[in-house]
Amino acid sequence: MASRVDRRLGGGGKKPLFPRLVRGIKGEGFFRGILPMPMQLLLWFLLIIPTLIVLYLSLVAWEPRMGTDWWQAPFAWFRNYGYVLSDVRFWQAIVRTIGVVGVAVALEFSIGLGLALFFQRDFFGKRLFTSVILYPMMLPWVVVGLAFYLVFLEKGPVNYMLIHFLGLKTGVAWYHYPALALSTIILADVWQWTPFMFLILYSGLGALPRDPVEAALTLGASRWQIFRFITMPMLKQVIIIALIIRGLEAFKIFDLVFIMTGGGPGTATESISLYIYRLGFVYGQLSYAAAMAVLILVSISIITRLAVRPLEYEA
Amino acid sequence: MNEERSREGRSKRFMTLLGQASRWLGALAICLVILLPVVWVLSISFKPPQEWLAYPPTIIPVEATSSNYIVLFQPGNPVGGVATMVSSAEPVTKALINSLLIAPVATAASVTIGFLAAYAVSRYRVGGTFMPFFTLTTRMFPPVAFAVPLLVYYRTLGLIDTRLGLILMYTGFTVAFSLWMMKGFIDGVPRHIEEAAVLDGASPWRVLFTITLPLVRGGLAATALFVFILNWTEFLFALVFTSREAITIPVQVSHYVGAVGRFYGPQAALGVVASIPVVVAGYLIQRHLVTGFTFGLVRE
Amino acid sequence: MGESFIVLKGLRKEFGELVAVEDLDLEVQEGEFLCFLGPSGCGKTTTLRMIAGLEMPTSGDIFLRGERINDLPPQRRNVGFVFQNYALFWHMTVRGNLAFGLMVRGAPRSEIEREVSEMARWLELEDLLETKASRLDLSAMQRVALGRTLITRPQVLLLDEPLNNFRPGLREIMRGDLKRLQKQLGSTMIYVTHDQEEAMTMGDRILVMSAGRKVQLASPRDLYRQPNTLFVAGFIGRPPMNLLEVIYEREGDRAFLRKGELAWDVTPVRTTIEGGLRGEKVVLGVRPEHVLPVEEARRRGLEDTVVRGKVDLVQPLARKKIVDLFIDDTLIKMVVASDFPVAKDDQVEVVFHPLETHLFDKETERAI
Repeated sequence: MASRVDRRLGGGGKKPLFPRLVRGIKGEGFFRGILPMPMQLLLWFLLIIPTLIVLYLSLVAWEPRMGTDWWQAPFAWFRNYGYVLSDVRFWQAIVRTIGVVGVAVALEFSIGLGLALFFQRDFFGKRLFTSVILYPMMLPWVVVGLAFYLVFLEKGPVNYMLIHFLGLKTGVAWYHYPALALSTIILADVWQWTPFMFLILYSGLGALPRDPVEAALTLGASRWQIFRFITMPMLKQVIIIALIIRGLEAFKIFDLVFIMTGGGPGTATESISLYIYRLGFVYGQLSYAAAMAVLILVSISIITRLAVRPLEYEA
Repeated sequence: MNEERSREGRSKRFMTLLGQASRWLGALAICLVILLPVVWVLSISFKPPQEWLAYPPTIIPVEATSSNYIVLFQPGNPVGGVATMVSSAEPVTKALINSLLIAPVATAASVTIGFLAAYAVSRYRVGGTFMPFFTLTTRMFPPVAFAVPLLVYYRTLGLIDTRLGLILMYTGFTVAFSLWMMKGFIDGVPRHIEEAAVLDGASPWRVLFTITLPLVRGGLAATALFVFILNWTEFLFALVFTSREAITIPVQVSHYVGAVGRFYGPQAALGVVASIPVVVAGYLIQRHLVTGFTFGLVRE
Repeated sequence: MGESFIVLKGLRKEFGELVAVEDLDLEVQEGEFLCFLGPSGCGKTTTLRMIAGLEMPTSGDIFLRGERINDLPPQRRNVGFVFQNYALFWHMTVRGNLAFGLMVRGAPRSEIEREVSEMARWLELEDLLETKASRLDLSAMQRVALGRTLITRPQVLLLDEPLNNFRPGLREIMRGDLKRLQKQLGSTMIYVTHDQEEAMTMGDRILVMSAGRKVQLASPRDLYRQPNTLFVAGFIGRPPMNLLEVIYEREGDRAFLRKGELAWDVTPVRTTIEGGLRGEKVVLGVRPEHVLPVEEARRRGLEDTVVRGKVDLVQPLARKKIVDLFIDDTLIKMVVASDFPVAKDDQVEVVFHPLETHLFDKETERAI
């Protein structure tokens, strides 16, 4: 059926062969074929064609302002890519985004893990707390962004608490300094997505077999040793999946930045998604944006493929 | 992993009680942290303009008012002094209606398509190992990357700022979730039930609709609610592809934010309004949130 | 208290409403191989876990070498525990598993290496040292589980039905190996099983449990020859003991046990019987090995009531035959030599070996 049944996870960067549909035979064959068809149509429409287009765009020099139709644009081959690679703002955005992802995910992981361990024992009202903890994940990003924006305003509750409980002289101007502004964004992301980590780790922990832990106990291991040598390694698979998924999502960060700082001050908090957005939709440099987009797509594919490797070997 | 360490002896029992109590306190503290931003937004949404930036900030408004909410729908209405500031804005009814239309429709489409495809993948291994993972690429990559070409594409097709265009887009980008979540649920239906039906002479379509479907009803609902949350809260595509006609709630929220004017009250009010449907939906599917976000790779 | 190595006093464990272990007293001697035997759910595993420290007793005490260890956490008890599913650390190699016990105690690297190599050699695991535990076959897993616990030189070895996962042929072999190992090491072993044959072949003494209570603690021989309750009688031995309900009757000076038309004269022991009898009903038990064909009985000089039965089924085995007899409407099993001529529907006359017949008042002891 599918001629190139590629066993690699995560798609191959450039979009390779389209799986063949089973033709013609009525009954089961037909059924089989038609079921996935709507989805495949959608994928073509929304995934494959746009990818081709973006590739094309990246290789031409075109901007809507030019007034010509896009298929008449002159070819510029790899010039756009050259521009991208030499664009400081681009690299800054990349580094910044990676930094944000790194810090945010690390925080989410640690806190989530701590919470998951904390929730291992029963306590009064545990179910209720579990429900409450889930809420941040469900809120629209924009609302989260809004909420945190408001909370970190000069006259907002955070500053109030800092002044009152920590004795600072004046409130902190969160949005004025790049590092602080980034911090607010990170905090918002952590607030929203730590529950995700918590849930995954919690259910992962719950699914671990008890026997080896008891065996370790009889062999004389302390709680900490058990955690380090038994629990964590067994959780490795789950942890990797969680990190990858959350990492990928975090990398796309856009809504929060848009709402909270708009990329500012200046471009100090601009994430890569925001930068591409600006390029393409505000400045209108679609070709340039396209080239950047392609680079990002390729890099993510490669990195994902690498990151997933450790998983593939476990049976 | 509940090991009762309740030992005899008063001191030891006290220790456990203390342990329990401290856990409870800890959980409480965590909840407070979680709730703070939400509470703050709620609080502002009920405050009149003079209190928005009042210092020291209070949680309970001194003069609670619903004017912020009213102003959302009737910008010109001079209630509580807010109106004068916001009169140039548009009522949010349009955005609300759009969202109410687009999200459910896109959800329904996505879930249906995803369900059909999931069945094919689960029972017939359509697409081998490759195809299902391929669909994940829609979620792997930053949406902007797709938005760029899609803009061009859509413009040619005349789909910009249309509800249909947005619906198509949302459907396409959530099928991956639908597929994986439904696949998990369908995998959980034992095959022999279907095989029995086939032996009785049922056509594959019948089997699908009369046997499998009822059995995964719960999963279907969970997937639907999950996708609904995604669609309702989606921002980037809506931002790029809509302006006046097909504007959705998240975009509307962003309109209130920004350098031009600081209408915190109505902003907050809109935020609250925008959040209610998804909070409700989220509550209903709590158990399945993990399955959804991890594409069914981690089962609970 | 104890010269005894392990002492359990009044041990009790409740899980909510369920009483898993009730008022258990036990003394285990150093170096002995003790089996906990009983059907599923009788509390034997729970007791084992309490000794290990994995469960806390609801009341009662556990002593090890005279010291009360109730409050000692399992880490500090230095007991080895082999789980039913081995509970290996499947993400580690064999080496990792073996070394674990020493590693967590902070033993120096050289010592660990040395011990691990030696243990591996002894258990024939050398080739598998670097294999992941998840890839081992059953017998290897069991050896690793054993090695892992032995390497820490535990005071007691507790084993929870470790041979359950082996197919019958291999199981017998492993039993022998384990027993030999125990003798070699001289360690104290407590072995839980629900297979009475296993307990009988391996144990120095056997503790029979049922529904959380101790039923009988004795050597295998004693359990076989002198079961103190119906439960034990019916549980031990394969094929199990035949049990018949009879009525005790006095006729003047004489006493009989009657069932239908059959009667056994029990005058000589009537005082004993009456001493232990509560009601009228007596259960007569005789092992299939002790149901003798008339000729055999006469030859041995054993005279007693002759019972007639009709053969229903003959099961030939390697060195004997199991014959199902119907006596009136009761089914009795009998064991005869392979060359004994018998076929379905034959009429056979048998005698119950008078010295090997047991009597039970619906619940209690015996009287011969």
